[in-house]
Amino acid sequence: MKKKVLLMGASGSGKTSMRSIIFSNNPASLTSRLGATIDVEQNHVRFLGDLILNLWDCGGQDAFMDSYLTSQRATIFQHVGVLIYVFDIESREAAKDLEYYRDCLEGLRQFSPNAAIFLLVHKMDLVRAGREVTFEKKRDELQECSPELSLSVFGTSIYDESLYKAWSNIVHTLIPNANILSTHLSTFAQACSATEVILFERTTFLVIATSSSSSSRPALSSTNGRTNNDARQSDNPANTLDPTRYERTSELIKAFKHSCSRVRGEFHSLEMELWDFTAVLDEMTKNTYVLIIVHDPSIETAALKLNIRMARRKFEELQGDSLISS
Amino acid sequence: MAAAPSPADHPHNGLDAPDGPVQRTKVLLLGLRRAGKTSILEVLFNQLPPKQTFYLETTMRIVKHQVDTVIPLEIWDTPANVTAENLGAPLSEFSSIIFVIDIRDLYNQPISKLVEFILAANKAKGDIPIEVFVHKAEKLQEEDKIENYRQINDRVLDRLIDIDPDYEHLNISFHLTSVYDHSLHESFSKVLQKLVESLPFLEGLLNVFCANSQSPKAFLFDIRSRLYVATDASPVDSATHNLCCDYLQMLNSFGPLYKSITSGSSRQRPATQTPTPAASSGPSRSPSLHDSAAGSQSSDAPISPGPPKKHPKELFYPSAATTLHPVTPGTTLTYHLITRHLALLAVLPTSVYESRRGLLEYNIVFFREGIQEICDVEDEVRDGG
Ligand SMILES: Nc1nc2c(ncn2[C@@H]2O[C@H](COP(=O)(O)OP(=O)(O)OP(=O)(O)O)[C@@H](O)[C@H]2O)c(=O)[nH]1
Ligand SMILES: Nc1nc2c(ncn2[C@@H]2O[C@H](COP(=O)(O)OP(=O)(O)OP(=O)(O)O)[C@@H](O)[C@H]2O)c(=O)[nH]1
Ligand SMILES: [Mg+2]
Ligand SMILES: [Mg+2]
Repeated sequence: MKKKVLLMGASGSGKTSMRSIIFSNNPASLTSRLGATIDVEQNHVRFLGDLILNLWDCGGQDAFMDSYLTSQRATIFQHVGVLIYVFDIESREAAKDLEYYRDCLEGLRQFSPNAAIFLLVHKMDLVRAGREVTFEKKRDELQECSPELSLSVFGTSIYDESLYKAWSNIVHTLIPNANILSTHLSTFAQACSATEVILFERTTFLVIATSSSSSSRPALSSTNGRTNNDARQSDNPANTLDPTRYERTSELIKAFKHSCSRVRGEFHSLEMELWDFTAVLDEMTKNTYVLIIVHDPSIETAALKLNIRMARRKFEELQGDSLISS
Repeated sequence: MAAAPSPADHPHNGLDAPDGPVQRTKVLLLGLRRAGKTSILEVLFNQLPPKQTFYLETTMRIVKHQVDTVIPLEIWDTPANVTAENLGAPLSEFSSIIFVIDIRDLYNQPISKLVEFILAANKAKGDIPIEVFVHKAEKLQEEDKIENYRQINDRVLDRLIDIDPDYEHLNISFHLTSVYDHSLHESFSKVLQKLVESLPFLEGLLNVFCANSQSPKAFLFDIRSRLYVATDASPVDSATHNLCCDYLQMLNSFGPLYKSITSGSSRQRPATQTPTPAASSGPSRSPSLHDSAAGSQSSDAPISPGPPKKHPKELFYPSAATTLHPVTPGTTLTYHLITRHLALLAVLPTSVYESRRGLLEYNIVFFREGIQEICDVEDEVRDGG
C-alpha cells in the first residue's frame, strides 16, 4: 500500500530539514548545510512493512511553485493522501506564503479532495517571547484562509520534540487500524503489569500506537487543541504521566541512535531500572520497537523481555492485518 | 554570628547547593571579553543548549557559581577586566585556573593577559594547575584548528621561557574546546580530575572492576554534569567517551519522563539518608590488583563510633543497559548508580553481559562499597568532621 505525501511550503521554511531528521536520522545541527531543493525530490520510505510513504519534497522557490500550480498541476496534486504545508514563523513574506498556500489548497481540492491536511508552523524556537500567543495568532490566520476545512495545525521546531509530535500525528492517520494495535497493546500491558506500552516505528521512532486508549491521548487525536478526558479514564495511571512523553521519547531515542551510529554501532535495545519505574525497549516486529513502562518495582526486566519474545508472532500477524484490511 | 553569604554572590540556578559549612574547591575562570567563559559554565552546569549561549549578556562583575559535582566547587566567572589585584581574593585560594582564548584570537592581548596571570599564580602558589581552553574550536577547519592551537601553545611557552627558562616546567595544559561538541566535557573532566584528591584510589578500583568484569573501558561519571571523574588505565578513545556521555544524557532525561505523579515510588532513595545501624565492614578481600594504600586504609577505618553509615546495603540502586549491534561481537553499555553523584558506565561485550550477569552484579557491589567509603572519607574531611 502506497501513500503519497506532499511536503510543501516556501523555500527555506524547513521541509528538507525535517525530512532528513525524521527519516534519515540526521542531527538538527547539520541541516544548515542543506541546499535548496530543486524541483521535487521523491523518496520512498518503507514504513511498517507494507505501508510505503511516497514523500514528495517540493522545492519551494517561486519558480517551482508557479510550475506546480500550472504545468505540473495534475502530476503534483493527484492521488495525494496527505498534504503537509510548512510555514516559517519568521518569514518576511508571510502574505506571499499565504497566497501560495491558498493556491495549493485549490489544486488539492481539484485533484485530491479527500487528502488529509496538516499545517506546520515551523521554527518556533526562533520566537523568543510569547510563543503560545504567536502560535495561536498564526493558527487563526491560517484557519481564516480556509474556513470550510478542519485543520490540524502544529507548532514545530527541529530543535525539540515538537517535530516528533506533529509527525507522529501525521503517520497515525495513515495507519488504518491503529486502534486494533492499541487494543492488543493494552492486553499486552496487562500481561506485563505495565502502566503503559508504546509501539514505535523502527527507523523513525515515531509513535504508531499505545496501550492507553486513543481518546485519553489528546496528543494524537485532537484537532485545534480539543481534548475530551472523561472521568472514566482518570483512574488510568498512564494519565498522570508527562503528556509530552511520547514525542520526547522519540526524540531521545533518535538522538541516541545517532550517537551509536557515530561509533558505527546500531542501537539495539535498552533496559532501565530507575527510581520511579522499570522499562524495557526492544524490537517487537521487523518494523517496530516496543517500550514497556512498569511502576511495580517487583517486576524484573527479564520477565518483560520474555513477554516481548512471546508476543512477537502475534504482533507480526496483527501488523500485517492492520494494513491489509484497509 | 556567622555572616550569611550575600545572595547576590550566589545566583540561584538549579545546581547551586544550599549554603553550608562545606569547604568548596575554588576554580577561577578567566579570559577576554566574549571568549566564551559564561557559555562554558551555562552549557556544562545549567544544561543551556549551546545555540542559546548567543543570548548571554556580558559579565559585569565576578559571579561565584556554587556547583555540586562529586566535589563541591565554587567557580568564579569573571569580567574581562579582572586582574590578580582586583580579584578580591588571593590567587593562592584557587585550586585551578582556567583561561579561555577564542581560537581565532591570535593577537597579543589574550596571550599577555594569560602570561600575566601565570606569573602571578606562580608567585602566589607554585603548583596551581593552569588550564588553557583554546575555545570555539568548531569554528575552524581541521587544519587551521591545529595550526592556531599550536601557535597559541608555542607563543605562551615562548613568552614564559623568555622571562625565565625555568618556567618551561610550569603546570600548564592546553585543551581544544567548543560548546557545540563533546570536547568541552572531555576537557573539563580532565580539569576536574586534578582536583579529586582520591583519584588514584578511584582509578585503582576501576582497574580492578575492568579486569574482573572483562570490560575494555569504564568511566566513573558525575551524573548531572556528565563529567567523568575517573577512568581505568586503558587509553580514552573520544568516540567511546562521547557515546557514554550521550548515554548518560539520555538516561538523565528518561528518569523524569515516566515518573508517575500519583503512584509514589516504592524504591527508597539514599538521598533521604535515614539513619540505619552501621553495617559491618565491607568485604576485605580486596583483589590483588588493588595495591594502593586506599584499600587497606578505608577498610581499616574505624566504623563503630563514627556517624551512621550513609549507604545501607539493602537500598535500591538504579541501573540500565543498552545493547548495540552490529559491532562484533556486540557491545553493551551498562549504567550503575554508585553514590548520589556518581555512576559507573562500563563497556562490556554483550556475550559477557548476558552470560555472566551474576558476576557483574557482584563486582558492582564490591566496586560501589569501595567508592562509597572513599567518598565518605572525603566528605568528612570537607565537613570538618
Ligand atoms: N531555527 C530553526 N531553523 C530551522 C528549523 N528547521 C529548519 N531550519 C533551517 O532552515 C534552513 C532551510 O531549511 P531547508 O530544510 O533547506 O528548507 P526547505 O524548506 O527544504 O527549502 P527549499 O528546499 O528551498 O524549499 C536550514 O538552514 C535549516 O537549518 C527550525 O525548526 N528552527
Ligand atoms: N562558535 C562558538 N561560539 C561560542 C562558543 N562558546 C561561546 N560562544 C559564543 O561566544 C559569545 C560570547 O560568549 P560569553 O560566554 O558571553 O563570553 P564571556 O567570556 O563570558 O564574555 P564576557 O562576559 O563579555 O567577558 C556568545 O555569542 C557565545 O554564543 C563556542 O564554543 N563556539
Ligand atoms: Mg528543501
Ligand atoms: Mg561572561
